[in-house]
Amino acid sequence: MTCDLNLSGEQRQIIDAAAAMLRTEYPVDRRRRWVADDLAAAAAFGMFGLGLPEGDGGAGFSLVEEALVHVLSGRHLVSSGSLATALGARLARAAGHAELADRLVAGEAFVCAGVPAGDSVLLMERGEAAFALVFDNRDFELREVGAALASEESALGHGASVERIPRVSKGVIARSAEPRMLAIADLLVSAQLLGVAEAVRDLAVAYAQVRQQFGQPIGGFQAIKHHCANMAIGAEMLSCQLDMAAIALRDGREDGAFQVAALRRLAPHVALANARLSIQVHGGVGFSAEAAVHHYLKQAHLLSRLGSAADILDLPAPLAPLVRVQERN
Amino acid sequence: MQLSLSPEDQTFRTTAREWLAANVPRRRAPNDGRPARDFALAWLARCNAGGWSGISWPDEFGGRGLSQERLIVWYEEYVRARAPSVLDCTFVALNHAGPTLIACGSDEQKGFHLPRILAGESIWCQGFSEPGSGSDLASLATTGRVEGDHLVVNGQKIWTSFADIADYQELLIRTEAGSKRHHGLSWVICDMKSAGITVRPIENMAGAVHFAEVFYDNVRIPLSEVVGDLHDGWRVAMNTLAFERKTAAIGLQLELSVKVEDLIDLAAPPRGSAIAERLATLRAEAAALRAMTYRTLLREPETPSDGSLVRLCFAELAQRVNRTAMDILGADALLENAWTHDYLESYSETIAGGTAEIQRNIIAERVLGLPRVKTQ
Repeated sequence: MTCDLNLSGEQRQIIDAAAAMLRTEYPVDRRRRWVADDLAAAAAFGMFGLGLPEGDGGAGFSLVEEALVHVLSGRHLVSSGSLATALGARLARAAGHAELADRLVAGEAFVCAGVPAGDSVLLMERGEAAFALVFDNRDFELREVGAALASEESALGHGASVERIPRVSKGVIARSAEPRMLAIADLLVSAQLLGVAEAVRDLAVAYAQVRQQFGQPIGGFQAIKHHCANMAIGAEMLSCQLDMAAIALRDGREDGAFQVAALRRLAPHVALANARLSIQVHGGVGFSAEAAVHHYLKQAHLLSRLGSAADILDLPAPLAPLVRVQERN
Repeated sequence: MQLSLSPEDQTFRTTAREWLAANVPRRRAPNDGRPARDFALAWLARCNAGGWSGISWPDEFGGRGLSQERLIVWYEEYVRARAPSVLDCTFVALNHAGPTLIACGSDEQKGFHLPRILAGESIWCQGFSEPGSGSDLASLATTGRVEGDHLVVNGQKIWTSFADIADYQELLIRTEAGSKRHHGLSWVICDMKSAGITVRPIENMAGAVHFAEVFYDNVRIPLSEVVGDLHDGWRVAMNTLAFERKTAAIGLQLELSVKVEDLIDLAAPPRGSAIAERLATLRAEAAALRAMTYRTLLREPETPSDGSLVRLCFAELAQRVNRTAMDILGADALLENAWTHDYLESYSETIAGGTAEIQRNIIAERVLGLPRVKTQ
């Protein structure tokens, strides 16, 4: 079989293993009190070297497996440092900082995500991270972050810490505008957004099955069903496109950039739309800080700030017609 | 997960591309009536002569028996070559009636009808919906009374596409007196030239005459025209619908990608403009629809209803694409042209073959496991 979109046995294994690790180490309930995640357990699992070759201290999996694991990471609301460290290790390796790459893969050092904001950078959930990966529109840079803080703020009020540092060139270790590196970042960011979109769908469906009103579970009402169906459509669409993009990028196909751009464009729309619908299905509880669903909404906003989103209109479409319509009629 | 073609499949792509380039008709298909019939049958006959009719049908029934990979390749080339839409008046024969006969028909039924369908010699229509049975198909009331070796049919069907130009109809009727819901139905081949049939065409909101009401006044149909067992028509009909939701949809879904490219070509939008933003999103959505199409074909579904997701996604995206065309055209949108025609036609996407609301219920109940709505 040359075309087969079923998960392979090996893919199922890694997904099952990652899911078990995340259930134990990063249960969603931990987010009731939001502190930056200790990413040591994720590092011990091998999360930051999944896609690196075995010779480089990685696990030698492909981008497809790595993306699938980041979907699960998104479902568990793991700190954005999980993305930044995985990408930072890649960037360090590509820039010739092999020792730093090894330390990141081994969980001896961590990277947090940085979002440019005017002439400063917002460090998201820095925790123990000594490095930051700053996502700009068309490139990203790996930099050291010093101990001194300019200020500390709270992201969207859900407890994740945000530190503002000045944007200076001092401390920059590596910078990349390499298209493949940017595409990998967009792929993994989108994978986590898909995790958010799936998690809020499942939360809403589970709640609609137990919450009773007018003597029946609210999931029996069509208005609720249709909200849930819309979440399912969005998640399915994104999941299929994630597979397509990951395969294209893994195999070095010429439509790789197009597929990733399509994915990255849809991912924030779907994650945010699903989070909105899920809050709605939860009713009053959904608006409370008690329920987990608002954390997913905020995570979706955060993740949406990361990565570049190449303009899909600049890329050749794989299914472009062979003759222009004007030449036909 | 793999999406790579073998060298043989690549050769197949070249063969398909060359054949299409040399054979695809230059003009757009007529909208309705006799000209639509003649155009569609001529195209199908041409495909058949080239060995491209019934591409998904098994070889033993005269089809080409293409693998999933090659079906994908064929439809990719088909839409890129701007071949006529697969949703023309031959659609029911190739994608409903034929496959149903292959699955459930007698040797006589298959021997007579299948070659005629493949060769572009017969048009079929579907007689399922009734004035009182739209989304609720199982409530249908058109009756067939057994009288000797015939059924005597009385009642009315509606929304029957191409009834005015069809040769045969796949007719679902209540043959067991007093039966309820999906029990006691039969799936019957009805010759549209039978005495007692009256077809009253209905003009649709796009100004085309695709569908019709069909009245049956003591129409006599031989019992030998029943497909599958008498009173077992629901099972036969479900077989048809399941088939429709998979293979036949590939061409339609991929066609939308080409349409988005045409829109981008038409609009030539300045970067950053509002219309460029909309087109960028549509392009991404069409790409995702294609990815969904492939997963439907190339992955084992988790539930039998998984196909409803891609189907509904397609219907609503088709409407957004056509709606965007109207904004791009500006004042020209007020004139009758191919874009406005397709725009108006696109309103049927979320109604025909199961409304968007019913599809959402199916997704919620059968895919997500929410409580079922009770039917009597």
